[in-house]
Amino acid sequence: MGNRSYIIIKAIANVISGLSMVTLITLGVMWMSFDNAFVFQDVKIEVVNNPVTREQDIEFMMIGTKKHECNSKTVYGVAYHRDGHTHRLDKFTKQYTRNTRPGEPIPNQWHMAIPDDMINGGEYRVSMTGEFVCNYFIFQAEKSQTYDNILLVVK
Amino acid sequence: MDKIKATDQEIEKQVERWDLFARIAPTVFLLINVILVITKTIDFETAFWVGLALFAMTAVTWWFWTIFTIRRLIRLLNRASKNLGEVREEFREVSQEVDKLKNGQ
Repeated sequence: MGNRSYIIIKAIANVISGLSMVTLITLGVMWMSFDNAFVFQDVKIEVVNNPVTREQDIEFMMIGTKKHECNSKTVYGVAYHRDGHTHRLDKFTKQYTRNTRPGEPIPNQWHMAIPDDMINGGEYRVSMTGEFVCNYFIFQAEKSQTYDNILLVVK
Repeated sequence: MDKIKATDQEIEKQVERWDLFARIAPTVFLLINVILVITKTIDFETAFWVGLALFAMTAVTWWFWTIFTIRRLIRLLNRASKNLGEVREEFREVSQEVDKLKNGQ
């Protein structure tokens, strides 16, 4: 191999190695940023028809911004009563809008039936949990986010 | 002198090995990971943590190699400087002897 060929091969190897390093660092930083991001930012969830009677449904209202493309897989709530008992809320009587677009605050709402075993009225604190599949660039990850302490008053 | 030359060559060989490693490792790692992620053998998270671990190991190894090499180079430099001083002293002595001989004649 001539000296000129050796220099050219060495230069090409340097460029390829440099580009690989830049690609690895960029992908690593992007992955970290994506993996650590919450699904919703500036999020607020409320029950808008407190106090709820047994004939009514619980009406939830939410506003929040999504950073990435995320589609919900499972959404459920858990209502905690002051005396310790809990009820799972997973019966949707009106569905929420799925796969809202990222980047802007989108209002969303859904109705849930009062569980049959919720015979005691009073104050509950509801935790709403969503499980999502998020996509960003070439990455995909499963994420979960919980919003706690939503006041629910059942008559 | 031979010892100095041997150390010098050894360090140069190690530098060449680091140079080769720096050229090959990122590309090889990237290609292997692209293949493994595309074939769904591993996910991005695994690739990320493996990459981070290898990066950390390389950084630590390189750091210690640098420290030990600098120490060796400083010792080498000190020894060379001491030897040069001795040679200089011997030259001075020889010069004085030559002057004495000249004056004697």
